[in-house]
Amino acid sequence: MTVKRKRTGRICFLIFCTALFLSLFCFIETEASGKAQEEKQVTLRICNWEEYIDLGDWDEEDTIDLDSGDIIGENSMVEDFTDWYYETYGIRVKVEYSTFGTNEDLYNMLTLGDTYDLVCPSEYMIMKLMTEDRLVPLSGEFFDTSDKENYYIKGISPYIRNIFEENEIDGKPWSDYAAGYMWGITGIVYNPELVSKEDASTWRILNNPAYYRQITIKDNVRDSYFAAVGAIKSELLTSREFIQDADYKENLEREMNDTSAETIKKVQEYLQDVKKNAYSFETDSGKADMVTGKVAANYQWSGDSVYTLDQADEDGFTLAFAVPEEATNIYFDGWVMLKDGIGGDKAKQHAAEAFINFNSRADNVIRNMYYIGYTSVISGGRDRRVFEYADWCYGADGDEEDVTEYDLGYFFLGEEAEGEEYVITAPSDQVYRQLFSQYPSQEAISKSSLMDCFDEEQMQAINQMWINVRCYNIHDIPVWTWMVAGIVISSLLVAGGKKIWEKHKS
Amino acid sequence: MHKFMFSRKNLGIPYGLFLAVFVMAPLLVLIYFAFTNGQGEFTLLNLTGFFSDPNTLGTLCYSFGIAAVTTAVCLLLAYPAAYILATSRLKAKSVIVLLFIMPMWINFSLRITALKEILTWAEGSLAYHPFLNTVLGMSYDFLPFMILPIYTTISKMDEALLEAARDLGAGGLQAFLKVTLPLSLPGIISGVSMVFLPAMTNYVVLDMLYNSTYIMGSLIGSYFASYNWHGGSMIALILLGIVCLFTLMTRGIEEENTRGGMLL
Repeated sequence: MTVKRKRTGRICFLIFCTALFLSLFCFIETEASGKAQEEKQVTLRICNWEEYIDLGDWDEEDTIDLDSGDIIGENSMVEDFTDWYYETYGIRVKVEYSTFGTNEDLYNMLTLGDTYDLVCPSEYMIMKLMTEDRLVPLSGEFFDTSDKENYYIKGISPYIRNIFEENEIDGKPWSDYAAGYMWGITGIVYNPELVSKEDASTWRILNNPAYYRQITIKDNVRDSYFAAVGAIKSELLTSREFIQDADYKENLEREMNDTSAETIKKVQEYLQDVKKNAYSFETDSGKADMVTGKVAANYQWSGDSVYTLDQADEDGFTLAFAVPEEATNIYFDGWVMLKDGIGGDKAKQHAAEAFINFNSRADNVIRNMYYIGYTSVISGGRDRRVFEYADWCYGADGDEEDVTEYDLGYFFLGEEAEGEEYVITAPSDQVYRQLFSQYPSQEAISKSSLMDCFDEEQMQAINQMWINVRCYNIHDIPVWTWMVAGIVISSLLVAGGKKIWEKHKS
Repeated sequence: MHKFMFSRKNLGIPYGLFLAVFVMAPLLVLIYFAFTNGQGEFTLLNLTGFFSDPNTLGTLCYSFGIAAVTTAVCLLLAYPAAYILATSRLKAKSVIVLLFIMPMWINFSLRITALKEILTWAEGSLAYHPFLNTVLGMSYDFLPFMILPIYTTISKMDEALLEAARDLGAGGLQAFLKVTLPLSLPGIISGVSMVFLPAMTNYVVLDMLYNSTYIMGSLIGSYFASYNWHGGSMIALILLGIVCLFTLMTRGIEEENTRGGMLL
């Protein structure tokens, strides 16, 4: 019996060893064949937001039939990029594409040891990474407008370019390190049947008792903070003197980025009020709840608003988008290269910059925009296809009667230009619907404010405020609860003790 | 030469490795973060901070409250169901048991989404009763974990014991209280620990049913979102401690009980 068992044991061991050996062999084999190709291959590790790039596989009916030609996403953007890169530069690039959920997640991933070459965080995270000296600056060639493949620098909207050049951190403009990808503003998506436009056009809607338990707000400190500051300073921000001041823009940004102890305290009180009044703080369900009619209004990023409004249209009811009169938060997501990943590898850096450029080519910009609903920072420069796409989406049909001229000169031509060339004749309701969400009007943009990258001390105070809002304070527990808990626990103890006592006695 | 002898013990190696890499190593990292500050120096501030902050303590109580109420609801629903099921002479018994387990085969978030629609329909808006909804959602989710162990212990019980009780003059209720209930205690205890512990940290249900008040899981999340891994790790560690304590306690009771069972 024992002999037999020993033998089976040995056989098992043999099999196990062979399997191990074989798998090891396979591993070495693939490694070696990988090495043979490596001479001409670059690996690019990209980390982007979830669902933030065209993944391809469109249906025939999704074809965008512009006058200048059809645009359709057959393959994913990443696949198309690898093909294009090989055709253009003769180098194989292997893209390892992964995604993240929030800027903070990305930061934690980077800090805890994940390496990426190219990532796409929001502007405040870009600033944080810049101050921590973790980014590789964009190369001089990237800004060379004579290179025909440099679609980014030739295509970026003058308005966005200006912001990227004017805003500095530690004396260095954003544009040295970051290439924009998508942008937008914050506002309120609302159901016009239940909420009036006036009510939706202020941050104070969040604690408006008329909409008790009918509004959702973002479960996110920064967005909530901005809205709350807008609400508590509403009177000042909408006053005539404030708006007509010559330094309106600077004053607005200063007020909206106020982190004084007094403001933080007021924000806390306001948000505690909001918590009692709102439907919920939501991370991702806001869009669906708006479409299914569970809520009447919803704090939204403009890119998501386009999607929400589209969905509602499909279901046969109308939603609208409003920008609060106090201020709106303008935000950017942009590509930055990391020192950890790129290091001094020029081939890698070239591939990373080419990826940005490829995604800035007008047809690809349109594919991405169509797929994800957000607005690209690319206006196309000489290539008019991006504007053509906006017109294709929102322009009125010939027989439409109620139309409005919607001027997008500020975005496509820059602020100082006349802009007659870039006007969309749109159905009048688009002025507060998808077109407005995708390309906010100049008037809405004039109230836009960037949100600073708060330093550690400010962040700590704001986070503490947030925890105070969201947590249940032990002092709020009603007395009867303590009493009930006391009775339950003591009776359990008595029962248990009695049992043990009885057992010992016997 | 030392001969390598393959014994059954060696089969445990893969599991040991798994344990070391995925359980022990993360735990050590957790402990490291919990007892250091941003500069990597040893500190107890995270620990004292937890017990002096009314928010974290309140959150702990809130989590406890939700878990306790959920467990109580589950127990009240599950015990009669399991008892009737186990003692009945139904031919279709296994089918009914299957009906109780079946929801577990459907994806959890799908079920909660469906529940969301039902509750919205019933209450008008989910936001009116966040606590109630959370408890309902969790009870719905964890009920099978309570029913199964109780059902198993009751159905394994020797019927001769009940007959003996009846012979000695015990009424139905008395027999239940003195025989069935004590003997099913191990089932109740394992059911309670299988419901109570996950209910304390499961913040997905809270999130999906729009309870805007944090419980422990979401609080850890918010610490991590503000890059405070040290405070977050400490909370996780304290939770782990509570879980361990609870497990030890239930095991103690169980041992007491099996000894009691043998005495009987």
